[in-house]
Amino acid sequence: MKRYFIHRLLLLLPTLLGALTLVFLLVHLIPGDPVDVMLGETASAADKEELRRSLGFDRPLAEQYRSFFAGLAFGNLGRSLYEQQSVAMIIGARLPATLQLALCAMLVAVLTSFLLATLAAKKRGGWIDRSALLFSLLGLSLPNFWLGPLLMILFSIQLGWLPVSGRGGVTHLVLPSFTLGLGMAAILTRILRAGLLQAAREDYVQTARAKGLSEKQVWLKHVLRNALLSVATVMSLQFGSLLTGSLITETIFSWPGLGRLTIQAIQTRDYPLVQGCVLVIATSYVLINFVTDILYKLIDPRITYAR
Amino acid sequence: MLSRTSFYFLLSIFLLVLFFVSCRPSSENRPPGYLVAAIESYPLQLDPRYATDANSVRIGNLIYNSLLRADENSELRPELVESWRVVDDLTYVLDLRKGITFHDGRPLTATDVKFTYESILQADSRSPKRGLLEPLQAIEQIASYQLKFRLTAPHAPFVEQLTLGIVPSGSPPAHDVTHRPPAGSGPFILAGMESGEKVTLKANPNYWDGKPQLAGLIFRSVPDAMVRVLEFKKGSVDFMQNDLEPDVLPWLARNTDADIGSYDGTTYQYIGINLSHPILRNVKVRQALACAVDRDRIIRHVLKGTVTKANGLLAPINWAYDDTVQRWPYDPTRAKRLLDEAGFADPDGDGPLPRFRLSFKTTNIDLRRRIAEALKEQLHHVGIELDVRSYEWATFFSDVKKGNFHLYSLAWVGVMDPDILYQIFHSLSVPPRGDNRGRYMNREVDRLLDQGRKTTDRAKRKLVYAQAQQILAEDLPYVPLWWWKNVIVKRPSIEGFVPYPDGELISLQKVSWR
Repeated sequence: MKRYFIHRLLLLLPTLLGALTLVFLLVHLIPGDPVDVMLGETASAADKEELRRSLGFDRPLAEQYRSFFAGLAFGNLGRSLYEQQSVAMIIGARLPATLQLALCAMLVAVLTSFLLATLAAKKRGGWIDRSALLFSLLGLSLPNFWLGPLLMILFSIQLGWLPVSGRGGVTHLVLPSFTLGLGMAAILTRILRAGLLQAAREDYVQTARAKGLSEKQVWLKHVLRNALLSVATVMSLQFGSLLTGSLITETIFSWPGLGRLTIQAIQTRDYPLVQGCVLVIATSYVLINFVTDILYKLIDPRITYAR
Repeated sequence: MLSRTSFYFLLSIFLLVLFFVSCRPSSENRPPGYLVAAIESYPLQLDPRYATDANSVRIGNLIYNSLLRADENSELRPELVESWRVVDDLTYVLDLRKGITFHDGRPLTATDVKFTYESILQADSRSPKRGLLEPLQAIEQIASYQLKFRLTAPHAPFVEQLTLGIVPSGSPPAHDVTHRPPAGSGPFILAGMESGEKVTLKANPNYWDGKPQLAGLIFRSVPDAMVRVLEFKKGSVDFMQNDLEPDVLPWLARNTDADIGSYDGTTYQYIGINLSHPILRNVKVRQALACAVDRDRIIRHVLKGTVTKANGLLAPINWAYDDTVQRWPYDPTRAKRLLDEAGFADPDGDGPLPRFRLSFKTTNIDLRRRIAEALKEQLHHVGIELDVRSYEWATFFSDVKKGNFHLYSLAWVGVMDPDILYQIFHSLSVPPRGDNRGRYMNREVDRLLDQGRKTTDRAKRKLVYAQAQQILAEDLPYVPLWWWKNVIVKRPSIEGFVPYPDGELISLQKVSWR
């Protein structure tokens, strides 16, 4: 197993290299000139050329590529062209907000889906089951740009319980977490319910009952645990997408996270910032996959990682 | 090796710690006496030597003083300058006010003014303002509070560059690792910047022109227009200017106590035309386009009256505005006649075949797309088929700069001196040298714009620019659409706010709570 994890860790490097190469090429090939954005309308052609030279944009793409990776090797992500600050500092300022929202949305999704799916699977065909399916359908159908403002109008304006938008105390987290979390809960509820129903039919569950275990023990130790494998992959992918920032939810709730930062960087053709954001996003995905592999083993000890 | 229970326990502790560490005091808790303004985008660079986006400039003007400052009628008035005189066409001598200090306590002297301008002129300054200072040959410090600006050639619009915010001598350039927004000398002190969230300013108790009535200002970045409106309704925002969907204004009026006002502005929206296109280089086609656009209908139904119909780039508030220029009221019959005269007869009368097809480029903002669809429908009535293409901003702007368009729509913001016509319509201003993106060439216009630049007497300049405006209104390198009004939404208890045509917020220094 140790060899497997070392192997996975080593795979991190080519994965990140591939992602960064791709984004490096993409940002340089799409139309739009960062020098125009930096110097604005009034700059002379000579000034623009001078800036292009001082930023190294006049050099061949291959050379720019080499110098970017040389900087990266020394932990230097460069400086934002627009904000003129270190990319690491800008991303560092936004990352806590993204982590905070991602964790809370995940918490909402996991708690809601586990509760609903377990109740639905236990009372299959009953009103709880039908309600859970309806919840799944609604959760998957309602887009965040509609659900977010709806929750705002209800809980912030009509009832006055929560702030409308922005980042601050715990109350600021409630609406964006639910807006993001409910959609994910809908998917998880469906998958977990199906997994639970399938696991409940397995022979080892009957055996567990025959051994005299209580129904609670049967469900917690045998049914739920075996159904978890099916949702672990989906959860990890969803958590990955949350860590990369959710542009729509962040925009609606004025949440200063990584999603908005990435889009702003792309719009202004801030190459170093785009590359820095992509590095964080790609690393998050790879690490989450890594953690998911560990979780598989913890959920089901039968799983082995032999090479 | 950790047991499974210990692993889960440690993971839970880690997540909880992470959660609480990242929670902060509520942003609802505003300090007493502060005014909260909602803005669409976070200001990226407050240092006045580098600020280009509208919010950076407007907030920066509350932190930094400049030598001159435009007032609510767009007239330049002394600010840091006590008096100034034009020695000859090339030389300006300025006497600074004494006793003004930066927020860090240092006195503001001619050394700081000289440093600010020279730091921009440095070859490696990377300042977007460097091009604007091109006519400046040298700044000479005559005394501690007296300066001389010397130009390379007579350049009447140069005085507009005296509105640049002054920073303390020695402030590092933006690309320096130690760079932070330098101290200003303005009515408000920068108290905090939370990336992507808000900028907090506190009143400068020692401000030379009187301490502001407000304890401070918070500019909150709320990107979604509907959410800004809900924040206002909730009471967590007190002030908004522009960037609101026209449809929400009646809702705000009905459902909140908002004091809503719309005031004439200078932001000019136009249809840009590529004059190197074989069809569009014909002036009758351009005139037909102008006659085919029913601006009143778009203003009434799409923009809900938040704009004023325009007849040229310079707004009526501008001292050089000429009211006698040719206008092109909506007249589809005349448009059809002009197209016939231009040699583009309708092949099948009122049938489905168009006279010709053109593309129309715009950004992917919803309101812009709706306007583009309305224009498409109106041009269809005179036999012009418009292919509307919307792009994200950088791609759209890149195409416009390259001349890769037939028609496009954009706006000019912050128009003050009529010399902007040189930048846009002079034949030497074709990109990359300027913004003549439609490749308009007219020798007479070139001559007038050269003359307007060199003439320092305002009355004579007005006559020169009047002629230029008249030719441009006939030639139509742009089809004028409208000037955007400044829409102000504020609490009725806010007193003393004076709207500026260019959207400046400088009057917040005199605002008070009732």
